[in-house]
Amino acid sequence: MRLFRSSLVASDHKVIGLRYLWLALVSVFLGMITSLVMRIQLLWPGPHFVASPDAYASLTLVHGSLMVFVVLTCAPQAGFGTYFLPTQIGASEMAFPKLTRLGFWLTALSVIGMVVAFFYRPETGLIVWLASVAVFCVGAALNALNFAVTAIDLRAKGMTLPRMPITVWAWFINAVLSLLIFSTLVAACVQLICDGEAATHFFVPTASPIVAWQRLFWFFTQAQVYVAILPCFGIVTHLVATFARKPVFAHRGVVLALSAVGLCDFWTWGEHAFAAGLNPYAPLVFSMLALSLGIPASILLISWFATLWDAKLRFSTAMLFALGFISLFVSGGLTGLLLARAKFPDSTVGDALVNGHYHLVMGIASTFAMLAALFFWFPKMFGHALSERLGKIHFWLTFAGVYLLFIPMHWLGLISHLPLPAGVSTANSLVLGLQLCITFATVITIAAQGVFVLNVAVTLLRRADARDTNPWRAASLEWTDFAAGSAGLTVHRGAYEFFPAEIRGGSDDFLPQNAPPTDILPPPPAFNPGAAPLNPLGST
Amino acid sequence: MPGTDVLDELDLVVEDIGRGGGGKPPERDEHRGGGGDDGSFRPRRPSPSQSGQRRYQTAILLGMVSICMFFMALSAAFLVRKTGKDWVNFRLPSIIWVNTIVLLTSSLTIDLARRRLALNDLVGFKMMWRATTALGVAFVVGQVVAWRDLVHMGFYVGSNPSSSFFYVFTAAHAAHLIGGILALFYVLFRDFRKIARLSLPVAAEVTSYYWHFMDGLWLFLVALLFFGA
Repeated sequence: MRLFRSSLVASDHKVIGLRYLWLALVSVFLGMITSLVMRIQLLWPGPHFVASPDAYASLTLVHGSLMVFVVLTCAPQAGFGTYFLPTQIGASEMAFPKLTRLGFWLTALSVIGMVVAFFYRPETGLIVWLASVAVFCVGAALNALNFAVTAIDLRAKGMTLPRMPITVWAWFINAVLSLLIFSTLVAACVQLICDGEAATHFFVPTASPIVAWQRLFWFFTQAQVYVAILPCFGIVTHLVATFARKPVFAHRGVVLALSAVGLCDFWTWGEHAFAAGLNPYAPLVFSMLALSLGIPASILLISWFATLWDAKLRFSTAMLFALGFISLFVSGGLTGLLLARAKFPDSTVGDALVNGHYHLVMGIASTFAMLAALFFWFPKMFGHALSERLGKIHFWLTFAGVYLLFIPMHWLGLISHLPLPAGVSTANSLVLGLQLCITFATVITIAAQGVFVLNVAVTLLRRADARDTNPWRAASLEWTDFAAGSAGLTVHRGAYEFFPAEIRGGSDDFLPQNAPPTDILPPPPAFNPGAAPLNPLGST
Repeated sequence: MPGTDVLDELDLVVEDIGRGGGGKPPERDEHRGGGGDDGSFRPRRPSPSQSGQRRYQTAILLGMVSICMFFMALSAAFLVRKTGKDWVNFRLPSIIWVNTIVLLTSSLTIDLARRRLALNDLVGFKMMWRATTALGVAFVVGQVVAWRDLVHMGFYVGSNPSSSFFYVFTAAHAAHLIGGILALFYVLFRDFRKIARLSLPVAAEVTSYYWHFMDGLWLFLVALLFFGA
């Protein structure tokens, strides 16, 4: 009982951060099971698990809301962020520990609500779902407030803004974006609940409940696409630099690009949610903005590739997943350009092309970034690195699985847009073959996660290893032993001070952020500084 | 304020030269109020940023942005929905204007309270603070009366989009205002000597920011409901 009570009142950022991650892990498996059920239903229609189209639609909603809200929105931001944001800026806690705790319990409550909503009749279930989403949004907004204040006011001495790791920048920008988006979502939830329960008419009623469920889902998730992926950008940038042993290329450009992503996303969504259909120019503006997201995305890509260029890469599992993220982001992003065109044939929400695009960019790419973060920070969180061999098997199986899954899904969507001669049905053997391939790939991908579970379980059972305090030789603060919040902690440089080991004549090729400047040995006389600058474009 | 340090020091240097570096503080400094900055002759009061209290000011500012967004979303919906064919206008209940004056007065009293506090007049501060709290409660009661007037006029939550918006706007504003009233009570009854991280002046300052914001928000909403309808 005392254990239970103490776990309820815990407000330590590491404890709460881990809880978010466990919550996300459980939801990932629930979400995967629902997707398997949906694949089986699509391939062999009939009342196996879901009795009616209504139940199938609400199953889609459960899958979507678990994955989008709990996994994609929570894990990279609230999970890893709550755990590592304070340590990366040299603070001992979040700005408001009790708010951290409140945010977590609101999130947990909303997850229960979202799952329970599935078991009600559609009309009641919708209200329960909306209420849970409102609770989730309030929790997320409170959390975002906490994040932003922590990043603004709790930085250690010398941790100037340009010296913050890119991860912190991403969390911070995302927090500001979340403050704006989630309060708007709460407003929408309030209106929708009033419409359902108090007979108001804030929204003009539309067609069947199934369409309403799907539209609602897209309304909410459109806002969250970049809320989910922004922290992933940060994590991937951080990992690429660390494993390439080079400073982040165009550090300031990356930060500006992250801010631009946030700005464009909010604008795009606001335009779409409130103005679309009001005047003929709205779709054009929407389309232009959606296309303009490509500019910051390209800056990020240029930075990643330039950092990787001519580097001595270390292909750890974490790095593989980060590179996998880049690969998926590029292939998924290309279809995004296609979809952002205003004149694209009115793609309905159930379209396989939209589905494939959305899953590849948002779902799978973000999941890869999260797995990268998990493999990267696991030694810090549990005192022992995950097995690299099992990790690599897990990576390659998953990587092959998701490409086999979502590329055929794109083809299905394109086939359905083909102008067919009269009398030819699209349900030919090619379509059936593709459907079979997708289901087969779903099974492979899900089975590959078994390797991951095994890896985590085996590693957790092993005893903590003192040698693993900084296995990746990263330079940011969370890997250094500092007394957090103490007056003695001073940051002297940016988080990406990597250089060839010859510069210091020793074996170290990096400088921790808090190492005093006196530690830097003068370069050997034979060394030519022009040949390998310490930090060519970074400004720190 | 860390930003003014350099200017103060410069000021000091100039005066030192002019007076030949006398040990006496410059004359004009003595005429300043108790909260004035005396350069570096006396030990400086720790600024909020040094004692870790700046986070409360940052938090309330960011929180206001977020709340603003919530009401902007509702206002956008209001402006869009207003063009619908089923929109019926109604006259705002007259008690709304009384409530507006009550809330404006409370903004005045909370500012007077903070002035008293700056002069270290704790008794005066408590009195003005209590007055603010009472006015806040009176405002909420007044809003309930406004709702009853509307019900008597036959406008229920669901009868028309315009009345729905009125109820949702006032209810959402009242919910946020009740949060402010709780903060007022907290400042009134909490013993700040027992809290290491938060002092009474900062708590009062942060609460007053929020209170003024609620006031401004209400003016905006009344204007929207009055002119927009």
